[in-house]
Amino acid sequence: MMGKTIVITSGKGGVGKTTTTANIGAALAMRDHRVVVIDTDIGLRNLDVIMGLENRIVYDLVNVIEGKCRIRQAMIQDKHGLELYLIPAAQTRDKDSIEPAQLRELCAGLEQEYDYILIDCPAGIERGFKNATAAAQEAIIVTTPEVASVRDADRVVGLLEASDLHRPRLIINRISADMVRRGDMMSQRDVKSLLAIEVLGLVPADERTISAANRGVPVVHDARSSAGAAFLRIAARIDGEEVPIQEISPRPGVFNKLRDMMGMKGRAYSHA
Amino acid sequence: MIGRGSDITFIVDENAPMEEVVRELAKQLSGRQGALFSEGGVSINTGRRSLTTEEKYLIRRVFEENSGLKVFRFVSTIGDYVIESDEYLDDPPRGYPWRFLQGRGTSRTLALDRNLSDLIGGNRRNRTQAMLIRSTFRSGESLHHYGDVVVLGDVNPGSEIKADGDIVVMGKLKGLPHAGASGDNEAAIIALEIASPRIRIGNCEGAIQAAGKTQKRRKRGRGAETGQPSIAYTRKGAVYVSPFAGRFARYTKGVLYDG
Repeated sequence: MMGKTIVITSGKGGVGKTTTTANIGAALAMRDHRVVVIDTDIGLRNLDVIMGLENRIVYDLVNVIEGKCRIRQAMIQDKHGLELYLIPAAQTRDKDSIEPAQLRELCAGLEQEYDYILIDCPAGIERGFKNATAAAQEAIIVTTPEVASVRDADRVVGLLEASDLHRPRLIINRISADMVRRGDMMSQRDVKSLLAIEVLGLVPADERTISAANRGVPVVHDARSSAGAAFLRIAARIDGEEVPIQEISPRPGVFNKLRDMMGMKGRAYSHA
Repeated sequence: MIGRGSDITFIVDENAPMEEVVRELAKQLSGRQGALFSEGGVSINTGRRSLTTEEKYLIRRVFEENSGLKVFRFVSTIGDYVIESDEYLDDPPRGYPWRFLQGRGTSRTLALDRNLSDLIGGNRRNRTQAMLIRSTFRSGESLHHYGDVVVLGDVNPGSEIKADGDIVVMGKLKGLPHAGASGDNEAAIIALEIASPRIRIGNCEGAIQAAGKTQKRRKRGRGAETGQPSIAYTRKGAVYVSPFAGRFARYTKGVLYDG
């Protein structure tokens, strides 16, 4: 089977692209796939930190593209022993150090050997974005349920639809059920109706995501984390499994438990 | 633009305004690359855009005046079907001010730029020159069309649609619309929900009302409530919004869109 290159992008910075990349990468590898994650945020690399691989970097993406090393030399294996490899970004260069076509060629080579190649896209819609999206066959857009983030996601969907990435899928990250219930946050339904694209997954706000990232261990390794569980389900969906989208509900109260027991459905969020 | 055997196929961007298409074609053909197409037959693929007789004629003229190419066919894709039109217009359509296409050199191209909006579409309100957008119109996208624009989806915040005719949105309108952009105050904007921060029609402009004021009006039951089909139109130089009751209904009790 030929591998697939997927870009993870958002437009706005700080919505969780890198965390999402690390977690989906790890989750896919836990499903026995061979996965490569590529950090294209040249000059502002982060993915290595979140995966806890910072001090193993010898060569980077720019070295590979400039032919200074073989691709295998730049690939750092995940520290949990999964079939998950990181190609880190160069920290001392900038986005102009690589061309979209070069990254495309690199990924085409990797697709021969690996099942999934995930590209962590930098924020913005300039050169770095063009580099990252040119190489991919599919796109995942990450947004938080905030107006600014959704607005930027909308812009990015437009740009992707104008290029060859016609059906981007959406991950809504950091949903706080309590805030939605109080009406202080856009609901997943609001986000979905504005962006009008397929939802790949909903990730709840979870403090464990932050602490896991600080320890350099993606949160999917934490069995008690709700965000980790969400990323595992997202990986299953990427894999082609039919996993129903779970609504992010407030902490289970007596009423909710009762409703579950009686087999009643929750509020009617429509899931595409 | 694709060369295919002895034929050349020109693919016209289905969303580009007609002016731009014609201008670009004229530039391509008369420029350096034009020399490549000394003679031959041309088939034109217009995608989902449907061209009027005038437009077809215009495109044909641009080709034949700027190169030795002859347009022998128009092809368009609508849905999954390919429609081929073998209309070959040897005479200008009636009422076509083709004098603008006479002569050679840059002056002709300039004349085209200036007058194309008048030539095709424009304010002739009894005729439709609609552009159909078959997707959500997203932030950062902008469009200027010489006729009516119909969007089969939402128009999201951060986008701009300018139309010399009406703007019809089969979804929520949250971007910035400008109907009757060539100065036609009779144009209207119709949407399943109008929630734009600013609306322009002809040379009138309106801004969305502060929430409190809208609430008050809504209680009085006069205005367009959110989530219902609405129409924006002008009266005495101001923009009003009413619940939609037909494009040509008489609207008298609209809500002033004045901030």
